[in-house]
Amino acid sequence: MHCEMILDEYHEKMPFYEKMKSIVTERLGACLEENKIVVAGLESRIKSEKSLTGKLELKGSKYQTLDDITDILGVRIITYYSDEVDVISALVEKLFDIDWDNSVDKRKMLEIDRFGYMSLHYVCRIPERMYHDPAMPQLNQIRFELQMRSTLQHVWANMYHDMGYKSDVEIPAEYQRNMSRLAGMLELVDEQFSRIRKEINDYRRNVQALVASGDFDEVPLNGDTFRSFLELKPFQRLADKIAAINQAELYEDDLMSYCHILMLMGMRTIGDVVRMRNENEEGAYQLALIQLAGTGLDIVAYSVVLQNICIVYILTQGFGEAGLERMFKLLYGESEYNVQRAHRIYEQAKKINLI
Amino acid sequence: MKGNIMDVTITKDEGKTFVKLDGRIDTTNADQFQHDILPLMGGDNLDIDIDCSGMNYTSSQGLRIFLMLQKSVMSRGGKLVMRNMNPLVKEVFDITGFSNIITII
Repeated sequence: MHCEMILDEYHEKMPFYEKMKSIVTERLGACLEENKIVVAGLESRIKSEKSLTGKLELKGSKYQTLDDITDILGVRIITYYSDEVDVISALVEKLFDIDWDNSVDKRKMLEIDRFGYMSLHYVCRIPERMYHDPAMPQLNQIRFELQMRSTLQHVWANMYHDMGYKSDVEIPAEYQRNMSRLAGMLELVDEQFSRIRKEINDYRRNVQALVASGDFDEVPLNGDTFRSFLELKPFQRLADKIAAINQAELYEDDLMSYCHILMLMGMRTIGDVVRMRNENEEGAYQLALIQLAGTGLDIVAYSVVLQNICIVYILTQGFGEAGLERMFKLLYGESEYNVQRAHRIYEQAKKINLI
Repeated sequence: MKGNIMDVTITKDEGKTFVKLDGRIDTTNADQFQHDILPLMGGDNLDIDIDCSGMNYTSSQGLRIFLMLQKSVMSRGGKLVMRNMNPLVKEVFDITGFSNIITII
């Protein structure tokens, strides 16, 4: 009889849960976006009648009313990195009213020599400052559960759940040890991913500082350093000069595809790239001049600058048409047209005495 | 060779959009070309394959329209490919750096 009353209340309150689900997921999604946090998943579900019935059959006496059950609406945020759980929980604390008496940090509940379920569970309410409808005050009264955990914690919890065990007391001892070993391993992997990400971020900050210092010979050429170098707009002067040939619009496209080519050309440092630019920019301009003047083409991509610098470098270093073909193959893929392309440019270069 | 006309034929097959271009794009017909190509800048046109075997010239206006189409397709997570371009048209793409922006095979 008692359980039936709770089930009736469940059906009556369904419209509130539906509305809450929409408010909570929408606000959480917006908050993550505002804070530039990309998560692996933001899930929400309303407990099914079947699942609620099962819960009431097991622990019915524990609940007086439906409001005592805090996970009818359940929301879960799955992060890529375990250290993001703390960042997100701080945001959640600002967004929602937290029922601290019923919230648990399962990460801190494990004994120091135990490994297993790791997740942060908050029981929350929607505060009036976030959403208030005088016709539906229940929206600010009904509690919901918000779980936060990393992808690897999520994997472990799902696998564990898939085996049909609700708690570790149910699992046979011989398997419990293996599950704990797995949990311990995943915890270590989680920690390593966070550490590696932090180290990469530190490295990128250092690279940016080094590039900004202008001591280019000390900066090795790689994807990160080249990206930082491009932020200094090192080819702007030549790009403006080439655009001026036809009073053209300059379209700023991405030059990153040239990093690999520069490395294959033997550039080891950003300093090497700067020297290459300085030594070949006049030739690159002359090449653009013979190609563009009189065509009336009044839009050019920024990358034409580096394209021409590389062409001039290849030709002045004596790599000839074969060198150009290799560059075009790297840039545009295998194509019979690369031969024609290389020959056409080689002939143009001869006309302006580049070779 | 066609005069100042650009014929645009759009067909669809198994989720892919095929476009056949015939003629030239210049100042006289660029607006019409943009109008013809406009349906490709929305909806489910994510995978676009343009056959340029019949295209014998493009001006800067044409390049701008192809750029607009490329940006539209990319922003929707799709892919634009231009194929069978004759050497003269390819040269226009090369010397403006547009070969670095659009996939030409």
